[in-house]
Amino acid sequence: MLHEAFPDCLALISKVTAGDFVDIINEAIQVFTDAGIGDAVKVTLIMATCSVTISSFLGISLGLFLEQAHFPGKRLLIRVNHTLLGSPPVVVGLLVYLLLMRNGPLGELSLLFTIKGMVLAQIIIITPIITSMVHSYAVNTAPAVRAFAVAMGATKRQTKILIVKEMKNEIYFAIVTGFGRAISEVGSVMLVGGNIEGRTRTMTTAISMLKSQGIYTEGVTLGVLLLVFAFILQGAAGCFQKRELQNENY
Amino acid sequence: MRIINLKKQLGRFTIDIPYLELASGCIHGFIGENGSGKTTTAKLIADILQPDEGKILYDGLDKRSVTMTAQKPYMLHTSVYENIIYPLKIRNIKPNEIEIDNMLKKHDLYEKKKQYARSLSSGEQQKLSLLRALIFKPEFVIVDETLSNLSAESLELFENLILEMQKARRITWVLISHQPHIINELCDTVHFFSNGRLLESGKKEQVFLCSQNPIVKTYVQRQTFGLLKER
Repeated sequence: MLHEAFPDCLALISKVTAGDFVDIINEAIQVFTDAGIGDAVKVTLIMATCSVTISSFLGISLGLFLEQAHFPGKRLLIRVNHTLLGSPPVVVGLLVYLLLMRNGPLGELSLLFTIKGMVLAQIIIITPIITSMVHSYAVNTAPAVRAFAVAMGATKRQTKILIVKEMKNEIYFAIVTGFGRAISEVGSVMLVGGNIEGRTRTMTTAISMLKSQGIYTEGVTLGVLLLVFAFILQGAAGCFQKRELQNENY
Repeated sequence: MRIINLKKQLGRFTIDIPYLELASGCIHGFIGENGSGKTTTAKLIADILQPDEGKILYDGLDKRSVTMTAQKPYMLHTSVYENIIYPLKIRNIKPNEIEIDNMLKKHDLYEKKKQYARSLSSGEQQKLSLLRALIFKPEFVIVDETLSNLSAESLELFENLILEMQKARRITWVLISHQPHIINELCDTVHFFSNGRLLESGKKEQVFLCSQNPIVKTYVQRQTFGLLKER
């Protein structure tokens, strides 16, 4: 049936010799080992890992703090955080650029066109996402966990640890979402990083540049790589969810 | 334990208890209609809620030895066994595996020892929450309608467990229940709540038979009818 449906395709495949196959593999390896692409992947991963690590620490702490603490202006702070969720990365990039430029308030730190500067911009974009997700999960989960822990005689520290433990899957999802955002972001890293080859060029800024130069092969390769990263992240998140569902329906 | 001038506002609902004494070593029953303030008072005693005014004098009792189980108990995202040993873990007490296994066997939970606790039925979860609350040998136990979903057999088992525990080591119990036979068979004293206030407090015979308060009388009549129906 397959043979009937795709006769031309099969005929074409049958004509591919072992030599052709080796050539295809070599070409693919050459594209992947190209210095520019390798560096872009490395910069992307370093930037995403650093920014997500710092954002996770800030976002998880702030999300849990907002759930538990009562202070004047708490609602306003939550609203501001929600507003920051939708802030355009280009605007964030511009603000960070203005902060880090030579004449800016943080100009002396010389962070413009460096990975550290890009990480700063990413933190501003990702922290509100993780804060918001952790806060909304905590509002639903933490009061019951806290009541249980107190009823069992847990200390304040043990209660906090238990809340984080009980929310571990949700926290993991928030981190994965943040990482996904970090590797796919273009606007702010382009402005703050400057897309310098080998130093601040990320996969997304490289794709953008390659497209403008009409070099599609490498652009598509990087795009596929980005999709592979997204797939791996999603797969890991899916595994967590599957395990949870299996446990629930044991 | 004594409660003095306790006040707690929750939305439009207010708990206002001028004085309540819970004699140690006794089984107390908190009774009253739904929304009368029984659970809120229990949560204040268990330190889950903080009072707006007044105080709770624990009279030498360690707050960490007061425990409470709820009608819909919270189950940790882990196995039955890990749930059971949580109170021991936080006290750095090494679990006695034989004792735990015997306890689980007695209450038909041994086969499910490694099972995910949230996959248990509501009755099994209630049983597990009671065992979990008792494993660290607390001094003061509040059982908030936790016995409501148990089968007749399990209920009898737990009633016996409570009575056996009282014989071996007298601890203080507060049972919150709408099941008249539980209050009747287990409790020494009864405290009647209505609309956030404590209307009547005393020996169960005194409250059930001699109360002059019309609200208490009506409730008792209904419960007596329920008790007759149960028999």
